[in-house]
Amino acid sequence: MIIAPNRLAASLVFFTLSCWAVAGQATPVGQEGIPVTDPLVIAKCGDCHARDERGNMERLSWGRTTPEGWQDALKRMILGYNVPVTPVEARLIVKYLSTNHGLAPEEAKAVLYDAERRIHEETNLPRGGLGNTCTRCHAFARALSWRRSAEDWKQFAELHAARYQVPSEETATFLAKAAPLHTPEWAAWSARKSTLNLAGRWFVTASIRGHGKYYGEMQVDPAGDDEFNSRVTLTSVQDGSTLVRTGRSVVYGGYAWRGRSKGTVPSSSGAPEDLASEAREVLWIAPDQATAEGRSFWGQYQEFGFDVKLQRPSANPTPIAIDKASLRTDSQANRVRLIGYNFSAEVAPAELNFGTGVRARRIVSHTPTELIAEVDVAAEAPLGRRDLTFRSSVLPAALAIYDRVDYIKVKPESALATFGDAKHLRGYQQFEAIGYQRGADGKPHTADDLELGPVDVTWSLEVFYAANGASTDLVGEMSVTGLLTPATTSPGNNFDVWAVATAKDEKDQNGKPLMGKGYVVVTIPAYTFNGHQYVRDLDRWVDDGPVSRTQ
Amino acid sequence: MKYVTWIFVVTMASLFWISGSAEGHHGYAAFDTRAALTFVGTVSEFHWTNPHCVVDFDVKDAQGQVRTWHGELSSPVHLVPRGWTATTLESGDKITVTGYPGKSNVPSIWVTKILLPDGKELKAEAEK
Repeated sequence: MIIAPNRLAASLVFFTLSCWAVAGQATPVGQEGIPVTDPLVIAKCGDCHARDERGNMERLSWGRTTPEGWQDALKRMILGYNVPVTPVEARLIVKYLSTNHGLAPEEAKAVLYDAERRIHEETNLPRGGLGNTCTRCHAFARALSWRRSAEDWKQFAELHAARYQVPSEETATFLAKAAPLHTPEWAAWSARKSTLNLAGRWFVTASIRGHGKYYGEMQVDPAGDDEFNSRVTLTSVQDGSTLVRTGRSVVYGGYAWRGRSKGTVPSSSGAPEDLASEAREVLWIAPDQATAEGRSFWGQYQEFGFDVKLQRPSANPTPIAIDKASLRTDSQANRVRLIGYNFSAEVAPAELNFGTGVRARRIVSHTPTELIAEVDVAAEAPLGRRDLTFRSSVLPAALAIYDRVDYIKVKPESALATFGDAKHLRGYQQFEAIGYQRGADGKPHTADDLELGPVDVTWSLEVFYAANGASTDLVGEMSVTGLLTPATTSPGNNFDVWAVATAKDEKDQNGKPLMGKGYVVVTIPAYTFNGHQYVRDLDRWVDDGPVSRTQ
Repeated sequence: MKYVTWIFVVTMASLFWISGSAEGHHGYAAFDTRAALTFVGTVSEFHWTNPHCVVDFDVKDAQGQVRTWHGELSSPVHLVPRGWTATTLESGDKITVTGYPGKSNVPSIWVTKILLPDGKELKAEAEK
């Protein structure tokens, strides 16, 4: 947790006040609470959060949230009220509350980007001043990660208003409607939850900015009550290099995978972006337990990460990845590599179906896990994204068919990087350049534009207001792969910078190389960790180590 | 106290913004808000991005010299309610830009409104 010292002090005062407020509160009326039955939670929280005859505990029974939400709440109790809990007890409390007072999978998925620490533009903000009420300090997802009764939202908003001078009534009214305690999703999930059955083999596809696509398998083995050991082997589609990572995880509420993993071969380079780095894993397991998706991330600001998708193996031939993201119209003999499982000994070109105007002319080679084909794209082939159908299996949105690259988008389009100092590590930023076709409406930068995959570019930096050709060393440097490394010494100021990608081959209609820009603010390391070692250790409680009661 | 309102989750999503550093990013402090200026120019680049949208436009002076101005606007989440979209401006559009000039010697401006080629005026910021 990162917090400004002055705000930390304010927090402590606030929570002292709120403790008194809580202690004097009557049980909220009008809505049924969620009874607390865990002896440890009752013992540790019961001094302040009184439990009534129905098992409802003040505040606790009228709120639901993610594992991260409960972990943050527990941290505040430890910091504000010196609640005496051991690390094992803390993990057990977070586990109980996340499972029994958690979110339904659908509710959690809507705010998963927050737990995944993704750069994400929130477009679901309420109109008017309320949109700024939450987001001037944190992501809106932090509020929507909670479900509370109307009375509890009111109490929350009033306490928040006292602390941050934000409007309370309007906030409470909105949140009570947008994020109520009782929802059809939660009712359905509470009834549906079944035994976790994640053990065994999973197919994995992954991608990481600057490194491209990976594919492989993950073996999951039980390691306790809803806990698992994992071993994943990933192969780069780009260069064939392999990576083995092992990890341990806890699954909360039947779907929320939280774990840590690292490469079996430690990094020899010590580079911050090293793919063997220890990473936190956040996965959302689909209710049918047949697929999962999420992000494994690391870095001082969680700026590096794999986007991961998992699926259960099938006995059928199963394509899981393709090496090309797009093919141009009026092109012949494009060599396409299809990666998958259970490919049979005999494959006919016609069995690869990419849709109208795209034809596999020849199977160049194939093994049970790889199939290389030559593909022709007709000049009049309809533009757009195509599924690949192979016998009874479908690889959705496998390829884009395009006529030209209209523009380049640098991703992330908006980003932060951070200078380091004696106390803080640097925050890096990995960019990638993605080509786009203008889409059916003929206009670039609209919703129907077609993403074509990475474009070969040269990278540079442009500091706002700096003279053309001026050195950017003060800010940092851009690698040939698009990794921005801020300068070693903080200049004590913030810089607005363009991360500029200039295409090596693709040109605009005037014959100039296509160019894309990403906006990055390179900041001073002003965000101070609160320096409380105990609290920093808490960051690891949710996902490190076993949680079983025998520990 | 003014906060930069980036409406997206950054990698350090768990942190609280600190007002001092937010001001350092620049806010209004880098612009002279005592008097607005107006220019007629041609769009060379338009970026629909956080934390600010950016429009670069070329202005020809009395001597016929072309100078590129760097125009900064608010963020998309604040511009959308005022009628802006990612395609409001395109390279080559003739526009009339009003805003507050930068305090430094570089040609920069905090854009408050733009008159589009079709005569439609879009506000980008409340004028001081």
